Amino acid sequence: MSSLEEALRSKLSELLGSKLAEALEKYGELVLEDVEIEVDELELVLHPGAIVPALKPPVEVRPLKLIETKFEKPKMEWTGKVVEVKLGATKSEGGTRDRVHIVGGETVPAFYMFAEPMPHPPVVAMDVFDMKIRLPKAIKVHFEDVMDDPAEWAKRCVEKFGAEMINLHLVSTDPYIKDTPPSEAAKTVEEVLQAVKVPLCVGGSGDPVKDVEVFKKVADVAEGERIVINSLNLDMKLDDIGPHLKDKDCVVIAFTPMDLDKARELNRKLYDYLPKERIMMDTNIAGIGYGIEYGFTVMERARLAALMGDKELQHPIVAGVTNAWAAREAWIKMDPYWGPKEIRGPIWEAITGLVALLAGADYFMMMHPFSIKTLKEIIDYLGKSPFEIEETPPDWVSAKLG
Amino acid sequence: MFEDIPVDVGVIYEGERIRRKEMYVELGGPKVDYKFELVRVRKPEEVEDGKVVVIGPDLDQLEEGKSYRFGIFIEVAGKQLEEDLEGIIERRIHEYVNYIEGVMHLNQRYDIWIRISKKSFRKGLKSFKIIGKVLQRLFKSELPIIEKIQVTFITDPDKVKEMWEEAMKVYEARDARARGLKDEEVDVFYGCVLCQSFAPTHVCVITPQRYSNCGAISWFDCRAAARVDPKGPIFPIEKGECIDPIKGEYTGVNKAVAERSLGAIKRVWLYSAFGYPHTSCGCFEGVAFYIPEVDGFGLVHRGFKGVTVNGLPFSTLADSTSGGRQIDGFHGISIEYMRSPKFLQADGGWERVVWMPAELKEKVRGFVPDEILDKIATEKDVGNVEELKEFLKKVGHPIVKRWEEAPPKEEVEVAPEAAPEAVAEAVPVIAEGQIAIGGFRIKMRNVKIKAKKLIIKRRGK
Amino acid sequence: MPWKAISPIEVYKLLPRTNCKKCGEENCMAFAVRLVNLEVKPEKCTPLVEDPKYRKNYEKLKELLRPMVREIEVRSEKKTVIIGGEYVMFRHEMTYLNPPPIAIDVDDTMDKEELAKRIDIAENFRYEYIGRELTLDLIAVRSVSNDPEQFKKTVRFVSNNSSLPLVLCSLNPDVIKAGLAEVPGGRPLLYAATKDNWREMAELARKHDLPLVVSSPGNLDMLMTLANTLEKYGLSDLALDPGTFVGSKGLSYTLSAFTMLRWRACNEDYRLAGYPLVGTPISVWSSMNGDKQTKAWWEAITAAMLITRYADLLILHSIEGWVLLPLVILRFNIYTDPRKPVAVEPGLRVIGDPDENSPVMVTGNFALTYYIVAGDIEAGKINCYLLVIDTEGLSVESAVPGRKFLPEKVAEVLESSGIAEKVKHRILIIPGKAARLSGDIEDATGWKVMVGPLDSKDIPKFVEEKWRPEVIEELMKE
Repeated sequence: MSSLEEALRSKLSELLGSKLAEALEKYGELVLEDVEIEVDELELVLHPGAIVPALKPPVEVRPLKLIETKFEKPKMEWTGKVVEVKLGATKSEGGTRDRVHIVGGETVPAFYMFAEPMPHPPVVAMDVFDMKIRLPKAIKVHFEDVMDDPAEWAKRCVEKFGAEMINLHLVSTDPYIKDTPPSEAAKTVEEVLQAVKVPLCVGGSGDPVKDVEVFKKVADVAEGERIVINSLNLDMKLDDIGPHLKDKDCVVIAFTPMDLDKARELNRKLYDYLPKERIMMDTNIAGIGYGIEYGFTVMERARLAALMGDKELQHPIVAGVTNAWAAREAWIKMDPYWGPKEIRGPIWEAITGLVALLAGADYFMMMHPFSIKTLKEIIDYLGKSPFEIEETPPDWVSAKLG
Repeated sequence: MFEDIPVDVGVIYEGERIRRKEMYVELGGPKVDYKFELVRVRKPEEVEDGKVVVIGPDLDQLEEGKSYRFGIFIEVAGKQLEEDLEGIIERRIHEYVNYIEGVMHLNQRYDIWIRISKKSFRKGLKSFKIIGKVLQRLFKSELPIIEKIQVTFITDPDKVKEMWEEAMKVYEARDARARGLKDEEVDVFYGCVLCQSFAPTHVCVITPQRYSNCGAISWFDCRAAARVDPKGPIFPIEKGECIDPIKGEYTGVNKAVAERSLGAIKRVWLYSAFGYPHTSCGCFEGVAFYIPEVDGFGLVHRGFKGVTVNGLPFSTLADSTSGGRQIDGFHGISIEYMRSPKFLQADGGWERVVWMPAELKEKVRGFVPDEILDKIATEKDVGNVEELKEFLKKVGHPIVKRWEEAPPKEEVEVAPEAAPEAVAEAVPVIAEGQIAIGGFRIKMRNVKIKAKKLIIKRRGK
Repeated sequence: MPWKAISPIEVYKLLPRTNCKKCGEENCMAFAVRLVNLEVKPEKCTPLVEDPKYRKNYEKLKELLRPMVREIEVRSEKKTVIIGGEYVMFRHEMTYLNPPPIAIDVDDTMDKEELAKRIDIAENFRYEYIGRELTLDLIAVRSVSNDPEQFKKTVRFVSNNSSLPLVLCSLNPDVIKAGLAEVPGGRPLLYAATKDNWREMAELARKHDLPLVVSSPGNLDMLMTLANTLEKYGLSDLALDPGTFVGSKGLSYTLSAFTMLRWRACNEDYRLAGYPLVGTPISVWSSMNGDKQTKAWWEAITAAMLITRYADLLILHSIEGWVLLPLVILRFNIYTDPRKPVAVEPGLRVIGDPDENSPVMVTGNFALTYYIVAGDIEAGKINCYLLVIDTEGLSVESAVPGRKFLPEKVAEVLESSGIAEKVKHRILIIPGKAARLSGDIEDATGWKVMVGPLDSKDIPKFVEEKWRPEVIEELMKE
């Protein structure tokens, strides 16, 4: 229990420190002017004959000045590294592409720019199909007149929309759709290789038996171009297709359905046939509302495990962002408040892509020109140094906004 | 693969039921006394690859609508095959026979029940040799470690009985070996990462005496799987040195687990729920949970509908131990592990178990001595921890001895000193010789005292 | 690095261990398990809180269970919103707990009509997603006029016309003070203390016991300085605004700032970073050039980035449905507990316009499964009835071997849905992955079973080829 006197004494010694005792010792009396003391609770006990104030300690001392503190960057230890994979081959390497992309090489998680710069910007590739397929109107409107001709379609992507790479999906080879024979599919690939000079990725129909045959023929005609085969999975006869693709110098996408253990297993099996630098992983991503969080978490875990030393996951990650269009909200007509589907679809795809980007995806398969443009801008912005900031931060608090 | 087979073969037929009126003929089943299916591993020279033999009348010689004694006998050979894998291969007969359109196969071993539909018979499935062919192709493509396979169907009633007797002996020997194999007797355990969940990298370590947490995979299953699919989800773990046989700590296991979990889990005690318990992902069959009031364990299985003796349901207890974490005293396990002689041996085994659901008790009866099993309380005996204590005392459960040796701490640890809190009531202050008596109080908040001048004098002098 | 899991035994040791049941649990161990699962708070054990002899244990327990990011309540008279309270940096380490609330702004120069419109959207925004209602959470009232009286009027109007908690935004302490008078029963969040006004803002926050945002756009040293100073000032409900920038001069900084702060809080237990992070995508509207739609677009993108990376509160300006919809769904998705599969209600779903001859299909109630299956059926323009059975949130693939895809459940839903009255036939199409249960399902329901494709994307094809009158007739005859 302290009295007013004691409280004062303690406050003053805080303010003046040992000097108080010193000063009193020396001078015997101190006079302070314009003193302000704050007390949270002051209890006056009034007794007949005496007023004895009682104080509730403690009287708090508030800082008068800012206490300078430095922010230190996180301490992190990453022991693993993602392999670098080259996509496409130029003339000097035996191909006919006008450029080569390199993806991967990370030593820190996605966009930890405060620790390390991104070794290579992620690549955004545009989807093309080898036959006219049902597409949401928002996309169709850009390609309707070329959808019957994959080579023209690819050209449209590169020439009009600046695509840096093409994903050609040979869906007509599906035994239940057109069952296009491998040799014919290979011809389509040749046409596209002629029509555009960006690196090429070729996808099958998803049928594990047919795809093996198709991939073989495709690899044959594309020999030297270092094309990307989309994709191999655990249901396929890997001992059949693996060596062939190695021989033809292809890059391979290893696809597993959002399951890290299967992803490791598939990679393990592929290592028997292909060097690590020829393998990318697609752990599958779904759109907002349709399982995006599963895809995001599997990707993020895969990338973090790779950086923590898991040798079976150290590959660039592929994101099939086009899957975002499977979400109803991306293509159906909704109540006017939810906006026109012409903008809903693209924002759906763009945000799905962004989420994959933040998880560590290095290679994107997308469709809508505007979503693609946005994602490339995001990649550009995020790839800048985090120490390059707007001189004067914008004032949104007191500004009249539009 | 089956273009020459008159009926369709595929996964979609796996569950098809053939009703009595649809069936052409029934083989085995509840009406028949002797039926069996058996796989034996032989030396390569003893097996003729692709051969199918029928001892007794073939399918088209059987009378429509009738039930017959039946035996399926499969002999296999291959460099990587051994007797221990027979059971695993045998289990697949059920799967593969079911893939055939119009053929239904239920149960296993000496319980098999097969029906062939009239429709399929009409389509051309008129000989067991066809079934034999299909089986051979499926076995060889799914289990490439089978290099040679020979199938024999027995419909001769006497021969069935004769071979049945031999088969029974084989089953018994197998079971005895499976139950009898000790962890000490093998050099290799297996790790399994088949669990599809969002646990940080969790590995199940499966030993001959410690089943997988999900209850689906034994050490033998792992052995086969690792051979069949060396790059698959099941992989061998060299035991290494045994650091502690009671707790079940092995250098090899620690190393494998540390690698797999990227350092998150460094040590595992296979036979304990304390310290460094084996982790779980989320699909375990049961949970062992510590009950401090009696210093013992409760067990509960996934199917248990109510709350356990401590008032929590399975799901809440499961949450506290899932996700690949090592939680002292809370442990996800399989029911088969409960039947193992090594069950929680570091903690006292079954003598430390004080409560379990009645249903679960019956599942382990025969593997746990009745004298102890009957002293374990169930939801029918007690409803809470106080009643449990009384029950245990009444039946003389061995746990009571533990109490006598070291009574469970129930007294609260009183804080060593009262916290230096301000006393709530104001007390009169004696200042400068004054004594205050009686009076009243005024409490003020957020008081600011402003003084134009404040004089501080040193006392005395 | 990851948050260390605690054993209930450790927690139990700090409880009174009297099994008094005041917390609602049967005994202290049960309460300990619930605490460890983060299902309840220690304060539920009233003896622990009230009895001085447990004081030390209570403090220890609070410390043991403390989240790495402080939890703050922002309240109106009617509603409470939680900010922060997170334990882990990555959701897969355990789960995120409190989805970042979204605040829509109004300003004190808006006329009543505009105010009413925006308040209406903030209050009544609703989207039904897998049986849950997604909503907005707060209203941020900004002062553009810098006039305390005007601000006061606006805050009054907002308070009277909405039930949502508020964020009061001004860097002028006098303006904030004026606004405070109009929210007597609430606990609004104050935005913000900066290096120029911190003393006055801190005083307001301290006096009224209000949470306070600390803002230092672009300068993390100053942010920590402010946080440290205000902590010493006596404030504990702080939130941090490191600055939300867009474009090539700042988006990278913002992402890094949020990431670094969250890392230091969760993985290094650096207390000054252990406060909720405030994202302000609204800043796009003053920093970007371009038309409204472009700004709204980038606001959506920025908000999505911050939802994915660690924002505990978002202040937005757009009220467009196409901006908010992907954000509220994404927020829900990211903040789902990864350990618990999300399930939909079992029962009958009508897809398209089925009639008495339309197919009847069965699937499990894992939300993802349901959405994919329903989506594939819709995309294929099939009219059918879809029966969803309770597989405890597991996918068909897991439920079948896990013995959760039960024929009895199929029978149950069949019965309760009254589907028998809606269709003439008695044929059920089951997922290909449930083939092995076809016989059992026939037995349990008395209906005939057709085994459907393994992948729902093949359903349209399957229906086209196999769902024909001849086939139906055949099956019904058997």
